[in-house]
Amino acid sequence: MKENAEGAEKVDSRRDDSVDLHSQRLDNNSDMTNETSNGRNNPVAIQPAAAKALTLEQARAKLTGKTGKKYWRSVDELADTPAFREMVEREFPNQASEWLDPVSRRGFLKVMGASLALAGLSGCTKQPDEPIYPYVKQPEDLVLGRPVYFATAFPFPTGAVPLLVKSDAYRPIKVDGNPEHPYNHGTTDAITQATLLDLYDPDRSQRILHRGEVQEWAAFLAAFRAMASDKKASGGTGLYILSGTVTSPTLAAQWKRAQQTYPNAKWIQWDPVNRDSAYAASKAAFGDYYDAQYRLEGADVIVSLDADFLSGIAHPGFLKLAADFAGRRKLTSSQEMNRLYAVESTPTTTGYKADHRLALKASEIAAFAAALAAAVGAPAAGANSTWGTAPQQKFLTALAADLKANAGKCVVIPGEQQPVAVHLAALAINEALGNAGKTVVYTETVNPMPSIQGDDLRALVSDMQAGKVDWLVILDANPVYTAPVDLHFEDALGRVKTVAHLGSHLDETALLAEWHINSAHYLELWSDARAYDGTVSVVQPMIDPLYDGKSAHEIIQSLVDLPNLSGYEVVRNNWSGSLGGGDTEQAWRKVLHDGFVSGSAFQPKTVSPKVNGLPVAPAPGEAGTLEVIFRPDPHVYDGRFANVGWLQEVPKPVTSMSWDNAALMSFKTLSRLGLAEQDVITIELNGNKVLAPAFAIPGHPDDALTVYLGYGRRNGGRVAGGLGFNAYAIRTSSATLFASGAKVTKTGKTYEFAVTKSHYQDHRSPSAGGDGSGNHSLEGNEAFTRGIIRYATLDEFKKEPNFAHEVADVPEDPEPTTTMFSNWRYDKNAWGMAIDMNSCVGCNACVVSCYAENNIAVVGKHNTQTGRIMQWIRVDTYFEGDLDAPRAHFQPMTCQHCENAPCEQVCPVGATVHSPEGLNVMIYNRCVGTRYCSNNCPYKVRRFNFLLFSDYETESLKLMRNPDVTVRSRGVMEKCSYCMQRIVAAKIATDKENREIRDGEVVTACQQACPTGAIVFGNINDKESRVAKLKAQQRNYGVLADLNTRPRTTYIAGVINPNPELDAARREHASANS
Amino acid sequence: MAQIFDRSSNALARMSLVLTGLIVIALGVTLDQLQRSPWVTRQGQRADQPVPFSHKHHVTGLGLQCQYCHTSVEKSGYAGIPPTKTCMNCHAQIWTNAGLLQPVRASWATGESIPWIKVHDLPDFVYFNHEIHVNKGIGCSSCHGRVDLMPLMYEENTLQMEWCLSCHRNPGKNLRPTGEIYNMAWQGPSQDKPVWCGTAGVKDGVPTAETVSCTTADPSAAGAQVASLNMLPAGFNGQTTASDAPAQTIPASLNYVKFTDQESLGNFLTQQYHIRTPQELSSCETCHR
Repeated sequence: MKENAEGAEKVDSRRDDSVDLHSQRLDNNSDMTNETSNGRNNPVAIQPAAAKALTLEQARAKLTGKTGKKYWRSVDELADTPAFREMVEREFPNQASEWLDPVSRRGFLKVMGASLALAGLSGCTKQPDEPIYPYVKQPEDLVLGRPVYFATAFPFPTGAVPLLVKSDAYRPIKVDGNPEHPYNHGTTDAITQATLLDLYDPDRSQRILHRGEVQEWAAFLAAFRAMASDKKASGGTGLYILSGTVTSPTLAAQWKRAQQTYPNAKWIQWDPVNRDSAYAASKAAFGDYYDAQYRLEGADVIVSLDADFLSGIAHPGFLKLAADFAGRRKLTSSQEMNRLYAVESTPTTTGYKADHRLALKASEIAAFAAALAAAVGAPAAGANSTWGTAPQQKFLTALAADLKANAGKCVVIPGEQQPVAVHLAALAINEALGNAGKTVVYTETVNPMPSIQGDDLRALVSDMQAGKVDWLVILDANPVYTAPVDLHFEDALGRVKTVAHLGSHLDETALLAEWHINSAHYLELWSDARAYDGTVSVVQPMIDPLYDGKSAHEIIQSLVDLPNLSGYEVVRNNWSGSLGGGDTEQAWRKVLHDGFVSGSAFQPKTVSPKVNGLPVAPAPGEAGTLEVIFRPDPHVYDGRFANVGWLQEVPKPVTSMSWDNAALMSFKTLSRLGLAEQDVITIELNGNKVLAPAFAIPGHPDDALTVYLGYGRRNGGRVAGGLGFNAYAIRTSSATLFASGAKVTKTGKTYEFAVTKSHYQDHRSPSAGGDGSGNHSLEGNEAFTRGIIRYATLDEFKKEPNFAHEVADVPEDPEPTTTMFSNWRYDKNAWGMAIDMNSCVGCNACVVSCYAENNIAVVGKHNTQTGRIMQWIRVDTYFEGDLDAPRAHFQPMTCQHCENAPCEQVCPVGATVHSPEGLNVMIYNRCVGTRYCSNNCPYKVRRFNFLLFSDYETESLKLMRNPDVTVRSRGVMEKCSYCMQRIVAAKIATDKENREIRDGEVVTACQQACPTGAIVFGNINDKESRVAKLKAQQRNYGVLADLNTRPRTTYIAGVINPNPELDAARREHASANS
Repeated sequence: MAQIFDRSSNALARMSLVLTGLIVIALGVTLDQLQRSPWVTRQGQRADQPVPFSHKHHVTGLGLQCQYCHTSVEKSGYAGIPPTKTCMNCHAQIWTNAGLLQPVRASWATGESIPWIKVHDLPDFVYFNHEIHVNKGIGCSSCHGRVDLMPLMYEENTLQMEWCLSCHRNPGKNLRPTGEIYNMAWQGPSQDKPVWCGTAGVKDGVPTAETVSCTTADPSAAGAQVASLNMLPAGFNGQTTASDAPAQTIPASLNYVKFTDQESLGNFLTQQYHIRTPQELSSCETCHR
């Protein structure tokens, strides 16, 4: 009772100073339905473990005295605050098992209704009649119940992701990479995986609107074509087209043809996250626009200058870069392991994966790059030889020496969010070291119409202000939301005579446009796109447009001589000439079948950059001036995916934060500004202000704030509404990457995050292997004492290949005979998984893939805070070492399918049992919700449906579900099944042929999505299988295997490859602390 | 003071105790029976379909083969409900004005599906797969009963879990040669009607039908007849019984074994068809995921 009373008190006090970051927040209707609206920011949120009073000194004090590899999951844990202790006393964080939601009368009735139904004879009543609606005319090649796979591509500003889409009765139900494509070989990333939910988003715009009234497509065409014929005389003066980054060669070709008639019409591309720096540098160095393609398979030393090339497709070429990077870290080939140096501002998975990481303010990186250029002998006029502090200089010297020693076998990658100077420096360094043509080649751009988008947008706005714009056609862009604030795009839009907007949602721009045309999703339309290597993919529709959406091709075609061509005809005609001789129809069909035009990858250009001295880097601001770094959000990107529940809910890499963005800063800056995490601050930058909650992350450079774009949507949809703050509000056109001179003031209010990093607690007594105090996260406490994370340097590994089994204080895994239960026998298949800790880059692709494959429900921010998040696989991040310069380890954690499973032994109703092939299976219809299994699971991978999280009502979401997986209801435990539906499907297919399942025939969803091939699944009884061979490695270890759980999922211990020169310093540092 | 209860109330008390026990037992038995009753399982109930389609007429009367309508039964989890087009193949020519067929013509004209009511309706958390059963020697009639004798379709078996498990724990008792899958009248081998099966040796990686050949006619009587078994009129109501294999793939000189009871045939086929063990077949993930 006491606890409850305290809990209630806490709710009240929090409610008082909880703050809404949105002055213009839309009114909610309170009827929440899952994937659509659970995401709303709930004002009554229970506080997860506030570590308010933690100072840097306290945290440091916690860290000192710990030798060597000490891991921690969050600073709350280090601080060991009373609040944290209170939290971890429970099985689930906070009060996950208690009813703390604000109860409305309506909600109460709903719940009581459900309870009565349950208490009644729901188990004994008969099922209602179910209708069958057969086809009237069934398509000839359709076999109902068998999925069909179609090749297509996801067009994205940084290059298309080639796809193979699983289609069930012509409904796309899973998006995966195209395994035959030369660029990605079947891999994807988190955003691409989540575009499936984007297609079925019930908030998508469904109609054509003219001044808010529903109109016909024909009416728009009539108006548009009338304008077009009027403008013929003037050559299109006054016609402007504003689009996102163009990736379609056909669209570019259409525009080229339209320009013959309308030479004075203008096409402007604008994406808030763009490649302006890279293009400007290329223009300066080559005289033309080129893309740099990095060949990491040949690189022994890789330097990232704030290039986040390992966390997602926001970086051009991510899928290939990540695969090639990991390929040189698997220690299987004869090639030596590569070494990654990261010099970065905002901490990213790239920096955490790096063997050496140097945190600098974003504005200091140009100076570092210039100094590095000078050190390796590249022309660098702006270089300052006395740059940096002593440790920084040491880093620079060691790095330069390593680069010079590996000339021609190294590469420097500049960050997309870094200014031209950094890109020029990278070009100069790569040229000076002879890397060009080896580890980096220059090709034509993926964007068929490369431009400097920031300049173009500025020119457009001044034309708009001057009243020169008669018609502005906005294609799949949301400039009202994303344009720099100083351009006052919204005002300028008022001076345009007619604005037409093609978009997927009724977003900020749509509401101000005279015409709004609902666009077709990329899974509904014909188009084409190039992957970053240049290979052309045809985008073909997977489903008839759900809401009769239109594509940009259909609008632009009105400006060309054959205005009535469909999107299909336009794309087809564009390629009909260039698919090689012979049978065009045959060639076209092959392209559609394969998903790409073979041999269409870009050929390297024989160009060399001329960098005549680097521009003098701006002097870093004085210490104490705050810098604001703008970054695309790792999941919702620039805001376009803000309404996708999967992307919102999956905790972001590095921060483990879901549903929000925050002002990220270092702990030092946090204490210097007198702030605590969750304090709401006002960030003032050049006269613009925004309210943002503060959040500290390890490894962030001091005196800088990082803000992720894409939040604070006014009209983003039911999921996006009310989440986070709008960082565009302080982003000006002169400083879109970072800006210094920010002022921060504390408002005295607090804001609650949904951060999952300390959700999984352990409170076993000492006799059961815990430390009894219960005040550690399971992982943080045991990562060290129980060897959850095991790694060594390359030298240590060479000396002692068995290092993963010689961890101090960690008992050896018990013999299989040490159990009172009889051992299982696995005669045929024994499924198992091996996860390579060296390859995992923590990008979350596996997590989102699992959402799609297994019909996992989205629970919303409030429920995430209370620990009810339903994801079956999570990526745990373990920090190690110093608060300011930590190393981090990513560990995908999911059901381990123990052979000696603790959960199985405690289920009173036999709802979780052992299968003859070693799967730990969950029988939903037997589960009565005692949650004993979750209690007894040492890995905390079981998820309980505390409420009815699955959406059984929204029609469009029904189309999305995987028909082979049960949609779970309230009161049921669930967890990873090793994608059992795929195993059973393979068994049926092979049983028909009377043969065994071959290695690689069963691929789990997480494995399929992984861009680095870190996850391998298969039959461990087959000694020739990939997974059996991995498990035979000495580096293979089981997490908490000393409990005799005998997990089927094992991990391949990490090996890092530090520079001995710098590594010595690290060790000295560590020993000084101890 | 007089007793409130006289002696006879002792007997009443005992009786009521016994009665209470009996009532509790009766209640249990009733509930147990209730959830197995046709009221819950719908066993034997004829649903009120939009068209009173008669399987008896179409199968027994006209000789339509099951797969004419249920096209995907061998290659997908769903057997398939025929599209309106299948009905119209014939009914565009015959019975074109029949009142009973009005919903079919309406569907054809409007493009709206005929809203049939599902007769064999499993709960949504159960995944049944036709393809593997049909390919491994479970005939249609083993689960669906004598559909060829049903004027209106009904559920022959309860489709409850205990019924599924009764076979998954001992699949041999229902196995039949794959050539007899669509034989509605199949009754298993007996002394009067023995079955001969021969194999070309157990081979992995090839479909069962290419290695096992079964026949209901004595192959030793006329060796050459094996080749033309496909044509032999046999079975019930003039239906033909197909041999397992196209004649050319099976050598004429197979070692045929004669089976006169289901148990021995079941054991033979379990081995030949690589039927998984009862332990595997009754593991939960076979049907629940």
